[in-house]
Amino acid sequence: MNRTLSIVVRRLGSLLATLVVMSFIIFMLVEIMPGDVAQMILGQSATEEAVTALREARGLNDPVLQRYGRWISGVVVGDLGESVYMQGVAINSILWRRVGHSLVLALTAFIMFVPLSIFFGVLAGVKEKKPTDSIVSFFGLATMALPEFVSGVFLITIFAVQLNWFPIVSVIPIGEGLFGNLNILILPALSITFVMFGYVSRMQRSSMIQVMNSDYVRAAILKGMPRNYVIFRHALKNALLPTITIIGMNMGWLFGGLVVVETLFGFPGMGSLLMTAIKTRDVPLIEACVLLITVIYSLSTMITDIMYSYLNPRIRFQGGQR
Amino acid sequence: MKYILYQLKKHPLAIVGIAIILFWLIMASVGPSLLSYTHTAMDSENQMAAPGEEGHLLGTDSLGRDLLARIVYGSRSILTVALMTSIVSTFIGVILGFSAGYFGGKIDTTFLRGMDILMAIPPLVLSMVILGILGDSSILSLTLIVSIAFVPATARVSRGVLLTEKSQEYVSAARIRGESHLYIMFVEILPNTTGPIIVEATARFAYSIMMVASLGFLGVGLQPPTPDWGMMVIENKPIIAQAPWTVLFPALAIASLVIAISIFSDFVSKVLIHER
Repeated sequence: MNRTLSIVVRRLGSLLATLVVMSFIIFMLVEIMPGDVAQMILGQSATEEAVTALREARGLNDPVLQRYGRWISGVVVGDLGESVYMQGVAINSILWRRVGHSLVLALTAFIMFVPLSIFFGVLAGVKEKKPTDSIVSFFGLATMALPEFVSGVFLITIFAVQLNWFPIVSVIPIGEGLFGNLNILILPALSITFVMFGYVSRMQRSSMIQVMNSDYVRAAILKGMPRNYVIFRHALKNALLPTITIIGMNMGWLFGGLVVVETLFGFPGMGSLLMTAIKTRDVPLIEACVLLITVIYSLSTMITDIMYSYLNPRIRFQGGQR
Repeated sequence: MKYILYQLKKHPLAIVGIAIILFWLIMASVGPSLLSYTHTAMDSENQMAAPGEEGHLLGTDSLGRDLLARIVYGSRSILTVALMTSIVSTFIGVILGFSAGYFGGKIDTTFLRGMDILMAIPPLVLSMVILGILGDSSILSLTLIVSIAFVPATARVSRGVLLTEKSQEYVSAARIRGESHLYIMFVEILPNTTGPIIVEATARFAYSIMMVASLGFLGVGLQPPTPDWGMMVIENKPIIAQAPWTVLFPALAIASLVIAISIFSDFVSKVLIHER
């Protein structure tokens, strides 16, 4: 328990530091770079006075530190501020629905790739150096390196353009919710699955090989226990530990991947919202998205770490003695 | 040399990987002079021409630009940026990781906390936000930002390999001889750690291609008129139903290069680490 607590405290500390440093850097960068949101709202033909007036009304003429202070004191009490580009719409009113969509997409991908890659990883590990292993390993190596949008394009060409099973774009019709349109989730989630499959199945394979060669597994097989029983009851339990870590470590890729996949499919999630915010130089909206992605990402790696130490008795008891 | 040939014989897949990488390197260097079109020339009479039609081997996009020419020119920028990124990020990583591991104590703790901060943001999100705000990405800014996003990974690996070497006797011997810290780190220790560091750098090369392609796809990579494989995919996505080749060929180009490099880096790590 001691160790778990120290992980939580350390992680939350560095998360807080990250948020402060990163949000400050974003404010400063937007400040020093050319390009102006007021100009962008009004268009190139707007007069100087109109732009100045709009900047005044949105509070953009205040010194950058003052704006940063105002923003961060709002965030502390849960007010993420107003979007500049969308004319003062409260970010809280648009962001959370998008976050929900992204989480559903991530979860769908998660449900697909975790069992799939563990199964094939175990299969390849048990059949080491046989054709099954070579095929699974090569497939893993190939998909691991493919950016999400490349596998996404292949999937669209096959399943949307040729077979017409799924829509080419994943937009939700106005007035409808995500849950009435679950078929739009399949292709984006599959694109993410491709990348994750490589990492997870390769890890599962090598840890399975290691465990299968250990003395206790050999003893169990020699004792005459059914092979499948040994694989699933004895070996898999230990071989899963490194896999859990690698899944946690790759949550970062998953969230980066979400931005790419959402852009490819036009899926209304937080990644595509972040893209729009960057293109319109909408600082409060960029800040809100980055903040949220960072928090979700850090929390998920933290949970992985805790799970790892909880599942591995060697670490758990060592921690208890200290 | 004989050893490398022997290893290649044992891993026939690696030969395929190396061949594809060589193909793209040759394409990038001499390809443009073999082409009958340039990457910006618009053939207004043959818009969205199918592959093989009207002398356009891979077809044209919605503006009538030759896809083969755009892919060949695009190979230059992606290879340059990815190669530079893997070198720069490994270089910074070795310097930071070595110093942190070698000096230990407060320097090491500060280093680890700093890396924790950088690592709390997914690398793609980090580089996309910064590049997006900076706007007008050049080869230089793209290389620098992506390298920074990769430093936590490379620095941690370097620190790890240094720590395993640090307790060796030749290090203490050098210290007793009165060599300087810099000499010990880079003349004594570095040559003994080239294996893992080269493995890390080749793996970085594959990640860099993936990252640069994704950034181009998101529209924050190199700006037009420089053709960029990732950008070509998103540009032509709206016409994927009418002219699928406009999207498929750049996607295949990325896929072939990135898979070849990861086969290669897998081979390098097998040769340099596992089978020693």
